[in-house]
Amino acid sequence: MRIFFIVIFSLSMNLLSDSIYNFENEEDEIRFNILVKEIRCPKCTSGSLSSSNAPISQDLKLKIVEMIKEDKSDEEIKEYISTRFGIDSLYEPGLTKDTYFLWFAPFLLLIFALTIFIIRKTE
Amino acid sequence: MKLLLKLLILILPISFLLIFYILLTEDKSYPGADYDTYDLPDFELESLSGDKIFKTSVENKDLLLNVWASWCITCRVEHPFLMNLKKQGIPILGLNYKDEREDAISWLNKYGNPYKENIHDYKGTLALDLGVTGAPETFLIINGKVVAHYQGEVNEVIWNEVFVPFIKKEGVF
Repeated sequence: MRIFFIVIFSLSMNLLSDSIYNFENEEDEIRFNILVKEIRCPKCTSGSLSSSNAPISQDLKLKIVEMIKEDKSDEEIKEYISTRFGIDSLYEPGLTKDTYFLWFAPFLLLIFALTIFIIRKTE
Repeated sequence: MKLLLKLLILILPISFLLIFYILLTEDKSYPGADYDTYDLPDFELESLSGDKIFKTSVENKDLLLNVWASWCITCRVEHPFLMNLKKQGIPILGLNYKDEREDAISWLNKYGNPYKENIHDYKGTLALDLGVTGAPETFLIINGKVVAHYQGEVNEVIWNEVFVPFIKKEGVF
């Protein structure tokens, strides 16, 4: 029985497998895993890099690994991708003059609703 | 006061919808095209014929950069139009994307070569730095700077809509 298990395990493909991305430390790997969820795949209809196996996503993931190894910050990595593949490659759009309306409209609506509510209450 | 409130309740949502409608449907560019201006990224690759080719080889030049591959079906569709452009005297630099050198060369021999020269980007590193998502894609480079970029097949319509305005404005070719 023992020999059977030894044979089975030595033939197992797991022994031959290796991780695709070699990180120097666990921290880098965590950063990578967060980044690939925050960046959109340029070729898919709203899928993140982590969910995509498209050739361009594979390339981008390798590029991110390379940039992490080069000690680039998350911002630098996101900038690299958004300047090339558009600002919409980031799931969370930055605060720029184009996105002020997007960010602040809900608060404006809230303030407006509250004002109406208070006015009607006091009337 | 009551009337004003009632009116506001009607006007506000409508104005919000309008603002979103205007922002979202604003026709900034032709679909698939973008007009960001930026320098070519640094690169050091081989041409299909085996010579070294650098960023400096294309600096200060006006040309069309076309991303293609022998495995790319749309490139085959686009090919006659590129041959046409070549006849008009437009210099086209090819970026052979993730392709085997032999396959690329035999493709060019078989169908004709519209390119002045071809960069062999086997791993797609230069393409990634340029923001290429696949083949075919075409960049208009004026004075070493990218001024227009189109994702997909360039044909008569796209050429006239996306590239010709820039070419006329800058007076190149």
